[in-house]
Amino acid sequence: MHIYVTGAATTKFGELWSASPRGLARQAVFGALKDAGLEAKRVQALFVGNMLSGMLGGQEHLGAFFAEELGLTVPAFKIEGACASGGLAVHNAVNSLLSGQYETVVVLGIEKMTDHKPEDVATALMGAGSEDERLAGATFPGLYAMIARAHMQQFGTTEEDMAAVAVKNHYHATLNPNAQFHAEITVEAVMKSSKIADPLKLLDCSPISDGAAAIVLSTKRSPHSVEVAASVVATDTLGLAQRKSLTQLAATKQAAQKAYTLAGILPEDVDASEVHDCFTIAEILAAEDLGFFAKGNAAAAIRKGKTTLGTSTGVVLNPSGGLKGCGHPVGATGVKQIAELVEQLRGNAGKRQVHDARVGLAHNVGGSGATAVIHILKT
Amino acid sequence: MQSPVKIWRNQKNIAQLLGKTGTIVSWTLIRVPPGDFMDQAPYPVVLAELEDGKRIEAQLVDWKDTHLAFGTKVKTVIRCVMRPDADGVIPYGIKVKPI
Repeated sequence: MHIYVTGAATTKFGELWSASPRGLARQAVFGALKDAGLEAKRVQALFVGNMLSGMLGGQEHLGAFFAEELGLTVPAFKIEGACASGGLAVHNAVNSLLSGQYETVVVLGIEKMTDHKPEDVATALMGAGSEDERLAGATFPGLYAMIARAHMQQFGTTEEDMAAVAVKNHYHATLNPNAQFHAEITVEAVMKSSKIADPLKLLDCSPISDGAAAIVLSTKRSPHSVEVAASVVATDTLGLAQRKSLTQLAATKQAAQKAYTLAGILPEDVDASEVHDCFTIAEILAAEDLGFFAKGNAAAAIRKGKTTLGTSTGVVLNPSGGLKGCGHPVGATGVKQIAELVEQLRGNAGKRQVHDARVGLAHNVGGSGATAVIHILKT
Repeated sequence: MQSPVKIWRNQKNIAQLLGKTGTIVSWTLIRVPPGDFMDQAPYPVVLAELEDGKRIEAQLVDWKDTHLAFGTKVKTVIRCVMRPDADGVIPYGIKVKPI
């Protein structure tokens, strides 16, 4: 059996104080249905990727909550896997189709974060870490900072190398109308931005964002559909302390290897990849763990423009602007990555079109690498 | 969210980690802390490898800039880890200090 994405839509990402979760969900889901040319009554199940609705908004039971709002009286589920909630929701939706239970389902990824104070958001996000990490007073920038420090020590990666990831992703975001940021930045600006968790600075960090994305998945091909060639999940220890290595995400490597086998492709076959750059160091790790570059070589390649639109020599990384430039409403991100790749593979991505894109890879990570979700899409 | 029951249950495990020594294998300086740690920032959080090979993540106390380095020797100590909430139970736990 083959699974296809037949429709996709993304809302504007950003600090959307006037937008409610209900409004964002309607815009994303009805947008995806319109894109698919599908009536709402044909939808057989709804999968919602979200992390923080309970801790920040006091609203759980999101399956029924959004089913009511969308006028869908169908089976509905909230799927939670920290910042990989969106990717996990897509994986579960794919599995529901493979089981034969449904033929057409909708995945909604959504998060509303900017209604709340930064300290409260930081506390809530630490729900993705281990109890020991919470008691240590760690934050997610802090955990990735310790990964960055180890990568700098082992491979000579510099703070300027990390800054170059943010520079590239902000440039890509200027080409994406839905991105949170539309301002180009420089390595100097990143280096001068306020320190958050040394060595990571404000402009190394993806922002706190609101936004939603939705896709329609079907067992039937349609004129503009894109095939889901692989959908794979892997997990690792919740906390950093129990990991054998700090300079790779084992879950990413494991999921990627299986996904490449399932899709029958090699890393060099990927034209466009949306990778989980929650922090600049995370994109460097991803580029290595996904097999695009040998360990220790990604930072220099990204800095030289080898993964930038217009100057790339192989895969383009984060044409949407990534989490850094496009924004990171955590539950929405994994679904947005797939919506972006659908546009790329259809050749509809406008100014940020990756030339002749035929194979796309989405890489969505939960926590500091405890969950990794890989989707490979093909024309 | 702090819970007196959870604090009571977990405090039984603190003794096993006390008085151990180890070395710093990575570190950061937290400048934007979670809410319960606001009055302590900025503070270092380190990943330390103990003599038995076990790794722990903990806040570094009684520190100077020169202690934030690979290989710095530390030992585990008991401290109040964060601001108690309205229930008033002091959340004790493990921190590390330079030797």
